[in-house]
Amino acid sequence: MSNEGQTPDLTGDRGFRSVRESTYKYALAGCALLSVLTTVGIIGVLLLDAAEFFTIVPVGEFLTGTEFSPNLEPVAFGVLPLVLGTLLITIGAALIALPVGLLTAIYLSEYASARTRSILKPMLEVLAGVPTVVYGYFALVYITPALNVVIDGVNGALGTQFPTLGLFNGLSASIVVGIMIIPMVSSISEDAMSSVPDSLRQAGYGLGATKFNVSVRVVVPAAVSGIASSFILAVSRAIGETMAVVLAAGPQPPDIPPVQTAFGVIPYMAPGDLLALYSDSAATMTVAMINIAGSDLSGGSTAYKALFAIGLTLFAITLAMNVVSDVVANRYREEYE
Amino acid sequence: MATETDTGFGQVSRVRGIAFKGISFAASVVGILALAVLLAYVFWDAFGLAEAGTTWYLAYTATLLVPLLGFVAYARTRPTVAAGAFELFGFTLAGGMLTFATIIVFLVIAGPQVWFTYFLTVLAPFLGLYLYGQYDREATWVGLGMLGALVVGPIVGTLALGILGTAAALLGAPGVYFLTLVLPGAGLAAFLAADQFGLSRRRAAAVGAVIPVVAIAGVPVVDQYPAVARSVWFVIVVMFAIPVGYALGNTASQRERWPAFALPVIVIGGFLLGEFVVGALGASQPEPWLDWQFLTAAPSRIAAQAGLYPAIIGSVFLIVLVALFTFVFGVGTALYLEEYAPSSGPLGTATRLINVNISNLAGVPSVVYGLLGLGIFVNIRVDVGPVVYAGLGAGTVLAGALTLSLLILPIVVISAQEAIRSVPDSLRQAAYGMGATRWQTIRSVVIPRSLPGILTGTILALGRAIGETAPLIMIAAADTRYSPPGGLFERLTAMPMQIYTWAFLPQDAFRYGVVAAGVVTLLIVLLSMNSVAILVRNKYQQEAY
Repeated sequence: MSNEGQTPDLTGDRGFRSVRESTYKYALAGCALLSVLTTVGIIGVLLLDAAEFFTIVPVGEFLTGTEFSPNLEPVAFGVLPLVLGTLLITIGAALIALPVGLLTAIYLSEYASARTRSILKPMLEVLAGVPTVVYGYFALVYITPALNVVIDGVNGALGTQFPTLGLFNGLSASIVVGIMIIPMVSSISEDAMSSVPDSLRQAGYGLGATKFNVSVRVVVPAAVSGIASSFILAVSRAIGETMAVVLAAGPQPPDIPPVQTAFGVIPYMAPGDLLALYSDSAATMTVAMINIAGSDLSGGSTAYKALFAIGLTLFAITLAMNVVSDVVANRYREEYE
Repeated sequence: MATETDTGFGQVSRVRGIAFKGISFAASVVGILALAVLLAYVFWDAFGLAEAGTTWYLAYTATLLVPLLGFVAYARTRPTVAAGAFELFGFTLAGGMLTFATIIVFLVIAGPQVWFTYFLTVLAPFLGLYLYGQYDREATWVGLGMLGALVVGPIVGTLALGILGTAAALLGAPGVYFLTLVLPGAGLAAFLAADQFGLSRRRAAAVGAVIPVVAIAGVPVVDQYPAVARSVWFVIVVMFAIPVGYALGNTASQRERWPAFALPVIVIGGFLLGEFVVGALGASQPEPWLDWQFLTAAPSRIAAQAGLYPAIIGSVFLIVLVALFTFVFGVGTALYLEEYAPSSGPLGTATRLINVNISNLAGVPSVVYGLLGLGIFVNIRVDVGPVVYAGLGAGTVLAGALTLSLLILPIVVISAQEAIRSVPDSLRQAAYGMGATRWQTIRSVVIPRSLPGILTGTILALGRAIGETAPLIMIAAADTRYSPPGGLFERLTAMPMQIYTWAFLPQDAFRYGVVAAGVVTLLIVLLSMNSVAILVRNKYQQEAY
């Protein structure tokens, strides 16, 4: 064993050592397997219960139905009102977050001093760190009353007829979701813009371009793949957002406005009708899931299975958007150096 | 026509550039300002500041705010003082959180008997082996032994729960906590004194001895106050005094940091002075919703009696479990993917797929994770021969903790991977060159170098878990509980769940009072966790070379 202390044991205990090494290796590999199991679990759970749901309610009826009332007779499981609610909130949030986030990214990457950036960036991250249920509470308790005061003021001053907002409304939900996803747009876009090489900017200045021209005509186009990918990710986050929308937008899905036809052939919905939907409750897919979960989780009922069908739809949409965002970021990246 | 007024060749519009810069700056701050206004409103409501008179504001501005701003102005230009002040502040915060979490986990949830049993069967062998490994560096079986203690210990503990529980009952709760917390705490203090401050062995032993002496000497004093049990006192001595003592010692040992001691003096002194002045002038005080009663009472239909106590305990319980699960599995996954997994060949493709899979899992909406939890932890029944797995029960603590762990695991893995990747390869090569095996390299080079990054990422991810509500609703956690959950298989409640339930109540006292107080409590917990994360990062960034 110790060789009388003459020659040091340089070989070590080979057998034990290899056992030890492979024990650690397989223990760690087991940890890594967990992420694969999670994915399998998500897909398995969603597919199994959704498949049962689709034996009761045909896929076509689910995807094209215009009524959603899982608990009140007569029950109906059309997902379209929920999709409309999701679209309303997502578009509203995107209208706020995409321009603001892009301008923020341009400011941080092109204009801000190192000191300003070191202050602004952590503060922007705070926007994404506040729990979503807190955003929902803000919308319900502070933003909606404040918006009503503004609307009353505008109506009184200009004589317009904007409707006052209900207790639950899509507008306040859009605003808080928009604020929440600003950092997502700004941080990914800023990373893309920062990685545009300085030589491109110098070339622009050499041609006599102003800072504004360089920022908007050189840096933004060069970073467009990163910007696009950040937009897609942010929209995907808005689609999956739950608690803020539950508290702010309320439990009722929007009524689908009547479809009109232009020139007798092209169907469309009046923009006024669509805008009016923001003043009232606009439940999304996620809200419908929370409502079903809050009312009935015994298992076995059709509403319970509908939960998984909606979950599957949501999962498919967000997964597709994440994959597209990845592809956009990788394939259309301008390679420098 | 347009070309004449537009900037033609050689003409440059300054206005457009300045306007664009202004607009983009406004865009950068608009979200921050909106959130700041909302936060100001909710703090205003939670602390009932509307009720406070002008005298109250003037008194506290003079005694607390002005000196504090003065200190900030002084420290701004002196980075060492600012670092010392932040360290004092951060360690006090961390000590407070640690004390709070220990009291909740050991005293409220586990109780002395369960804690004593698992201390003897899991923690004591684990720590004993670790110390032996530090002493005898040649013993290569120590690591495996520690791993074994973590696997076998809980089983032995569960079997021996009856006997050891009785022993704990004979010792009494204070005795158990003295043996299991105060004595190891004394050892830790002595080690820190020798390791961090370079004291001689004898002095370090004296520092360590202070803790049990203070703990016992304080018992007669504590007995005067029935609100503070002896067990609570022991926890405070260990969990609060050690971090704060460390920060004080660290500041005291560097002369240029001494001005940082002004911060605690200003805060405590200013507060006491303000209290005295307000009392003397008889100024009208704020009527806070967020007070001791709110933190220690159960929910109620009457706003003035409503409290958050069960939800706070539930959240702490949940977050401790989530921290355990995600740290072990998150770091394990990241280590495997970065250090072991092949990067070429067919297995390399598998590794790439796992990486893509993890980044996609991070983008799955939390409500879908709720469905996963519902499907595999709640509504499930699997019969494999004689073994029946019927889930963990609707809305139980364990089901909630596992669901939230799966939710934040991708985030933890990604941040841990980044931290591990930032360890320079030359260090690994140096370790291999000295004959270290792969695991030895990981244990003694990779993990110590990447630990600050890993910890920061984990704490930030835990901050996300503590605010999550949707997955808990999906697995049918309780809307409202009037007593805290006492075990892994009891129905769960958590702070965001309670806020969600209260937010729908129409009374103004709830909407602008109780819920605001709940929101502020949640935000303060989050802020503390993030400060600790920043502290960890700063602390180790300074020490890295």
